[in-house]
This record gives sequence, structure tokens and C-alpha cells, in this order.
Amino acid sequence: MKRREFIRNMGLLGGSMALGLNGIPLKAFSSPLLLNIEQTNGKILVLLQMNGGNDGLNTLIPYEDDLYYNKRPQIGIKKQDVVALNEFTGLNPAMAGFRNLYEDGKLGIVQNVGYENHNRSHFRSTDIWLSGSDADQNLYDGWVGRSLSYMYPDFETDIPEHPMAIQLGAVESMLLQSPIGSMSVVFENPNTFYQMVSGSIADDDPPESTLAGTELAFLRKISSQSTNYASVVKEKADKGKNTVTYPNTSIGKQLAIVASLIAGGLETPVYLTTISGFDTHANQLTAHAKTLTQLSEAITAFQSDLETTGMADRVVLMTFSEFGRRVEENGSRGTDHGTAAPLFVIGKSVSGGIIGGNPNLVNLDKNGDLLHQYDYRQIYTTILQDHLGLNKAKTEAILGKSYEKLNLFHKSAETGFSFAPLQLNKVYPNPFQYSAAFEYELKRSIHIRLSIFDLQGREVAVIYDGLQNAGRHSQHFSNRLATGTYIALLSGEGRQSSKKVVVV
Amino acid sequence: MAIWNVTSAQHLLSRCLFGYTSRDITLALSYTKNDYVNKVLLAPVTAPAPPGNWINEEPALADSATRATRQKDLVNWWIQLMLQDNSLQEKMVLFWHNHFVSEMIKVAHPQHMYWQNHLFRTHAFGNFRTLTKAVTTNAAMLIYLDGISNTKNKPNENYARELLELFTLGIGNYTDTDVKEAARALTGWQVDKLRPFLNPGKFDNTSKTFLGKTENYNHDTLIDAIFKSPKTAEHICTKLYKEFICSKTDAPFIKQMATVLLDADYEIKPLLAFMLNSDHFYDTRFIGSKIKSPVDLLVGTLKAFEVSNPEYNYLADVLRLLQQNLFNPPNVRGWEGQRKWISSSTFPNRQALTDSYINGKRLNGQSIKFQIDGLAYARTYTSCNNAIVFVNEVSTQLVRYPLSANKKNLLLNILLEGTTPTEWSTNSPMAVTRLKNFFKALMRLPEYQLC
Repeated sequence: MKRREFIRNMGLLGGSMALGLNGIPLKAFSSPLLLNIEQTNGKILVLLQMNGGNDGLNTLIPYEDDLYYNKRPQIGIKKQDVVALNEFTGLNPAMAGFRNLYEDGKLGIVQNVGYENHNRSHFRSTDIWLSGSDADQNLYDGWVGRSLSYMYPDFETDIPEHPMAIQLGAVESMLLQSPIGSMSVVFENPNTFYQMVSGSIADDDPPESTLAGTELAFLRKISSQSTNYASVVKEKADKGKNTVTYPNTSIGKQLAIVASLIAGGLETPVYLTTISGFDTHANQLTAHAKTLTQLSEAITAFQSDLETTGMADRVVLMTFSEFGRRVEENGSRGTDHGTAAPLFVIGKSVSGGIIGGNPNLVNLDKNGDLLHQYDYRQIYTTILQDHLGLNKAKTEAILGKSYEKLNLFHKSAETGFSFAPLQLNKVYPNPFQYSAAFEYELKRSIHIRLSIFDLQGREVAVIYDGLQNAGRHSQHFSNRLATGTYIALLSGEGRQSSKKVVVV
Repeated sequence: MAIWNVTSAQHLLSRCLFGYTSRDITLALSYTKNDYVNKVLLAPVTAPAPPGNWINEEPALADSATRATRQKDLVNWWIQLMLQDNSLQEKMVLFWHNHFVSEMIKVAHPQHMYWQNHLFRTHAFGNFRTLTKAVTTNAAMLIYLDGISNTKNKPNENYARELLELFTLGIGNYTDTDVKEAARALTGWQVDKLRPFLNPGKFDNTSKTFLGKTENYNHDTLIDAIFKSPKTAEHICTKLYKEFICSKTDAPFIKQMATVLLDADYEIKPLLAFMLNSDHFYDTRFIGSKIKSPVDLLVGTLKAFEVSNPEYNYLADVLRLLQQNLFNPPNVRGWEGQRKWISSSTFPNRQALTDSYINGKRLNGQSIKFQIDGLAYARTYTSCNNAIVFVNEVSTQLVRYPLSANKKNLLLNILLEGTTPTEWSTNSPMAVTRLKNFFKALMRLPEYQLC
């Protein structure tokens, strides 16, 4: 046995031996624990996995794009039903609650998120999203599990007082596995969890390194984790009260428990929740509306609960799904497996708005699926650094390489820097022929001028000039310019942000 | 050659049956190993009485309450078959259910799920290609993976993709184009009441290019093409290996299994006989290396303690909690097994289950209609009044992973409750309570979860 493994086992045993014979912990957890800022910065990430492959095109609808309606004659969401967010993008009508989050600037949306060579298998693509791997790379642990092993470098010998991660459910996700095993506790309800572990006895046999011995060591570890954490979880759940009524759905109940644990003072930095039912191969309109309603209602309740309990500054929720769905509807009023899709990031520290343009429905892959615009790991990178406060080096080690961050937050948790009051984020497509979308972001209401300069410094086109509100904006430019390289310049209050653009 | 003794018989039975008693071991050892495998475990399939006459009733006739009752009856019926089975039959039915997954929650009508289960039983040790063909046009499957929506003009890829990825070739052995082409070959199937049928007008009667060959494939010739690839044999052999031998695969042995299967033209019985008679199967390192499935734990414990009249509704409830909701696997991949069964949620639930068998009560204190009689069970051991020998023999009989001296000592202390071994007797007034505590503690051990 490796020394490290031995020490870990001893550490875990120390925890379970603190239990009396009837399972009542001898050590009380009554004193309020201070946040250990060396481990976590007090920030909390709630992940919400949408199982089955969410149909992005019917979630966030490009309602001015005729191609969308051509490709989806039966299941396209009618323009008049769309909950418009801007002049060309709107939400599924089942997600009305999200519009308020959007208007309050708490809903960040990233368009066209995916990865190169998107896999269309539920299972393989889920593994890719959970592990943070490339399409052709097999990893056996999760990006969150690896992140936790950096946030808690001594966790093997110095068992954290609170779980490092909590998964609401019953089958532990790969997401929370690290190279040295499970980093989380999994339960459906804090009370029954506590009740069930009572009566387990301490286990101090040294594990054997045989095939069966390693399975036994695994079982013992889970057993110890359960007994170690059952009482603190129950205590915090009892202490933290929900201040809103959650919808009586599985995801509603899960988020209610998460909110009560956070309000009760549990320091756990990562939670995983799950909603199923997105594999909409047939008759999807009703089924998809139902799951999206559940999602939207649960998340809006959760956000409002956090704001009442004063925890909203600390918490960010991110949704994800293994893939989006085929652009063209199938014959059963449903959609088959596809590729890129939008992703939601919600919270008070989130700088609300839409990053990225509407999906390009012309330029598809050979399967008729969307090409991705942002790699999913750009969002992971952004959250790890700007929310959870990990540094660049650690983030790169966790994700295997460096990814460009997105402007998802008002300021960086890692550096403390606020982001510029204005930022030209993206010109899309680029290069372009006749038209392109210019996406930019304003941190406050200012007078801006967005224009195109040639390389001689001549302003050849003014796209927008005037006062605009804070948030994300997009302007469509449509005019034929001479072929060549230009600079797009966004300026206001003496600040500038520019991007090189190419006309072909 | 592997030795055929109590240890190897226990290993074989713990992997092939849902639990066993010491009498089952004695019976097995009265045969040679080969005879026991071929004549008892692989005995010809028996068809049980169905759960009710409703299995032939037109699905649309039942209201939702009747349907819900029948769904429950179906689950209970199957648990009972597992409890009564002394062969490999029901284990293989469960294997096929977990391979060719359909979920009752989507299929809705229990009739369809019954007939699919019946199909798995008929072909339990039959031909894998024949079974795959039957499943492809099975009503429950046509509904579950949207085969009924897959038509010439509007193909639906759902079944085709899972057929290639999960049921036959395995991921990486086909392209996305193969999926589309396979979907076209499978167009036109519909379900009328209970009966699946091919609607020629909805079948794409043109040529398809599949796995590099172009012809006018249909549901039958497509499956033949899939089964020409040895990848299909390797894929199913890997799955059988993980189910019966070890979750960590052994490529050379799986190659041997695939050769046996291909030589037998995809007949499953010779493959199972080969596997269960092989020296590899009895390699001692595999003993106790498998994490029991919820059914193994739940039914196996009842069988070991000879409880023959349990409360099936309760068992079905617990199976759901332990994440093996029969007729409703979590998704089309099915239950992954081994460590996936265990989390800090399911592990304590497993302990609560075995406690409840001893207590005769659910976790919430509500009574259940059966209980393990620890005293009667203890008295089936001639050693029952010799505490030290008794603890030893019971552990050997009930726990596949050998308990350390330390653990046995701990169990002995629970049994004796501070008294000395000489004071122990099953006739002492405290014996019933002490045996309860002893059996609960024994089944709460992580070792008890291994087989």
C-alpha cells in the first residue's frame, strides 16, 4: 500500500471512529465554522445538468431567422410566442421566468457552446462534458473533482469539516471524481441520509491491494464519507430555511435543499443537481415545454431564495447538457442528436446578457448540425478563475490547456479587477462578405460610437452612435465594403475596444 | 483445472443465482462442475405463468389506475421469479433487459414490457442474432426508441444509433453516416395494438450504404450485416465478462470468448458453458470482487435466510431507492453496475434494507409483512451454540470476501454483548435480540456488499 493511501485511510477512519456505537457523533458541530479562505473563497458553484441533450434552438430561438422556420416547420416556436430578449433572440415561452433574470442582468447566456468533432452519443458526450476532455481523449475523472483536489490540496490527510462537493441524487457522477477517488457525498434528502448511517461500525482493517480488496477499500471510503458528513449536513439543513416556495418537482426539491444548506452555513463549494427528459426524439413541443418550465421555475425560485437569505453574492448556477439537437426536425415532430447549444450562467455577480451570435443555420457540418462558436471549457475556465478564484496555472492544469475566458462576470474573483466599462466582444462571422454581427458589452449606460476604420485610419462606416443602456448588445452591419482588413472600434467615455475584421 | 469445492461452488452460485443456501451448495457439489453448469444452471428454459390475463388485452382499454396496478404486478411477478429460480435463467433475463433496454415509463403499457421480458426469457440462452432481430421489431422497443416514428420520408435515428452503439458493434466501430443509413433500413415498422408490423408504404425501399457495402438493406439483412463484424461478438462478450467474472476486463480471455461465440454462430449457451467451466472464471482473485447489484443484495439475502413469502411491494420500493427500478433502467445504456451502484446515498440505503429485514420494519418504523427469523436461521447451524465456531461458519456462508480476524472478533462481541463465549446459547433469554444485532452488524459490513 502506498503511504499516501494509508494516511488517507487513517484519516477517514479517524472520522468514523468518532461515532459512538449507536452512530451518534461524539464530536458536536455546533460552533459556527469560519470560512476557510485558503481552500475556497466562499464562492459556491451550483451545476445543473440537463440530461438527454437539450434542444438549444427551441430553448433560445433565433426568431428572425427564416431558415429556422424552414428547417422546423412543425416544431419551430412561433415568433409571436417567443419571449423576446432582443431584436433577434428570444426564449421558449415556457421560460418566462428567465426574462426577469435577464432584465435584472443576472442571466448570462453563451451561444453555440460545444467542442471540436462533437460526439452524438449521450454517454460519450456526457463523459466529455463531465471530464473536460477533447472528443478523442478519454479521462476517467471530472473537471470539478480535479478542481477540488487543487482547492483542498491536503484533503487526504486533513479531512474537510464540510463535504467538498454535494450531489443531489443517488448515483455518483464522474464530475466529482478526482484521480484519487470520490470528492463528494451523494444524497437525496439530508434527514433520511442522517437516519440511515446510524448504526454503522468503525472499520480499521488495513485494506488489501487485491482485486477484491480495492473494491472493499472503495466501499469503506464511501461508508466513511457518509458517516462523516451525515450529521453536519443534517445540522445545516435544519438551520437553513427556504424563504420561498419551490415548485413541487424533482429539480425544485433539489435546489430547495441546496439553498437551505447554503443558508444554513455549509461551506461546500460545489453542488450538482440534475433534471432529465431532454432526449426529445418525438413530439417534443409539449415534453420540452414541460421540462423547460420545471427548469425555469426552479431556478427563479432558487435565485429569489438566495437573494432573501443574503447568499446571492456568493452563488452562481450554470446549466449544461451533453449536446444540442439537429437543426432540422425529424419526422416525428422531434429532433435527433446534434452538437452545439446555448448554456446559462445565473447569479448576482454574473454580468448578464448574451455572448455570441445566433446560431449560423447556413454553415452546418456534414451531418446538418451546428458548428460551435465557444469551447465549453472556456466557460469552465471563466468560472474557475473569475468565480471560484483559482489562478491561471491551476486552471490550465485542471483543463489540460489554456482557454480564452469570456466576460461572464462583473469582476474577476482571482485578480479582483473590474472589467472595462465597454468591450467589443465578437464580430461574427469574421471574415465576412456582406454582413456581420458586432457584439459588445457596456458596464453602465454610456454614449458610444461603434464604427469601422480602414487601415489608413479612415472611418468607412458608422454602425451605431448614441446612448445605450448597460448590458450586452449586438448590432447587425450589412453593407458591401471593399475586400481587405479593417478595424472595428467601439469607443465611449474616452475608452476604446477594437477588433480586427476582414472583408472577403 | 479449477478445484470443485465449497469455495468454488459458492463463487459460481453467487455469480449465477440470486442468492443460495447451504443446501444449494451441497446440491451443486453432488454433480461434477460441468454437469452442474450444463444440466442445472443451463437447464432448458421454463415458461412461468404470466402475471395476469391482461397481457393479451388491447393496451388502450385500461385506464391509468389499472395500468399502474398492472405495472406494479409485473415488477412483483418478476422479483418472485428471481426468488424462486435455481438456474441461470432469470439472471440472463435481467442481463438482456439491461442490454436491450426499454423503460416502462415511456413504453407505458405493461403488456408490451411483459412481452419483451417474455422474449428475453425465450431467448435467455438462445441465439444473440436471433434475439437482436426479435428485439428490433419488438413493440416495446419500437415505442421506446421511436422506431414507430421512423419512416421513409422522415427517418428517426434513435433506435439505429443505440443499436450500433450499445446493442451490437459498440462505439467507435461505425460512423455517423452508418447511423443514418441504418435508420433508413429500419423504417416502416409500426405497432397496432399489441402487434408490430411492417408498413411497406413507410419503408425506404432503396439502397443504403452501410459499413462500406451498398444494398437495399431491411431490418433483417441490416442485422445480418452487423453480425458479420467480429466487433459485435467482442462487444457482447465484454458485457458478459463484466457481469459474470469481473468489472475489470481481460482482453485475451474476452477474445477467447468471442471466438467461441463466433464458432457457435452467436449461440449464447455454448458461450456461457465455456465461460462458467473455464479455469479463468474460478481464478481466486475474482472471489468477492463484484459489488452486488441491488437485486443480488435484496433477493439474495432473502434466499440465503430462506424467506419465501416477502412483501413484494416493499421490495420493489427498495429497489427503486437502490437505483435498480426493474423495467425502468435509468437510460438506454442501462445500469452500469459495480461502483456505480454505490454512493453515499445508496450505501446507507443498502444497510437500512438489511436492517429492515431483521427488524421487520421500514426505516420510518412502519411494519413490513415479513421478517428474517434469526433464531431459526441460527439453529440450522450445528455449531449454533458454540459462539466462536458459529460466527466463523456464518461469515463463511454469508460473506464472499473473507472477513479478517478483527472483524470476526467484532461480530463475536456483538453476539456476546460483553459476556463470554461459554455463556452463549441460542436458548438464553437474550439470544433473539443478540442474534438480531449480530446479523444486522454482519450485513452492515462493506464486505457483505461483495460477491
